[in-house]
Amino acid sequence: MDLSYQEKSILGSLLAVVVVYGYYFASVLRDLSHPEFGAGNVARLILAVVAIVVIEIVYHIVLALESKVEAKDERDILIECKAYRNAYFLLATGAFLVIACVILADLLREPAPTRIVMTPFLTVNLVLFFMALAELMKFVTQLFYYRRGLR
Amino acid sequence: MTKGRIRNSVRKLRFLGSEMTQQELAEKIGVTRQTVIAIEQDKYSPSLDVAFRIARIFGVPLEEVFQYETDAGSQTAP
Repeated sequence: MDLSYQEKSILGSLLAVVVVYGYYFASVLRDLSHPEFGAGNVARLILAVVAIVVIEIVYHIVLALESKVEAKDERDILIECKAYRNAYFLLATGAFLVIACVILADLLREPAPTRIVMTPFLTVNLVLFFMALAELMKFVTQLFYYRRGLR
Repeated sequence: MTKGRIRNSVRKLRFLGSEMTQQELAEKIGVTRQTVIAIEQDKYSPSLDVAFRIARIFGVPLEEVFQYETDAGSQTAP
């Protein structure tokens, strides 16, 4: 498959997000019995963010060395705009869901038979989850339009 | 409203015009080679700015490069 520089760049970023955040959220789910910001959880969160940045930098250096770097043109920018639009809708939906979760958890705190506790740890991770999902949506939308075209 | 589609003769004009490569055309009009490929495959309709630049490179009117086709198959000048 003949991929352009932009497609290779997006594909690398997509894989970085899937692998790093996939691993991070899998480990968060495993330790959900202690939904608090202990030293371990904070370190894991920082490590995930740093890992994404480092992987992106190294990948783009390698990519620049082995293939010709192409500046974005009008088609790339148009595709990026469409991708940001989809990502925005997903992020906004996620933000509303997190708000609803926080409000519901507070409202149901007393009368509910099973207590829903929205700790800061859970809230932060839910926000981070939707941010990662929005990033994925952006990358997938871009790859989709690069392959299918803008008719 | 009748749905239309923009077709183009970029590939044909490129070969008629001293067999210009996609890369050469891309550099002349200021886009990437991938965008020229997308235009030739009718997967992308360029902006008016790029469309005029293409026509100017080949020295032909815009209507000769881009054609607007409706579902009924009729062609209308842009």
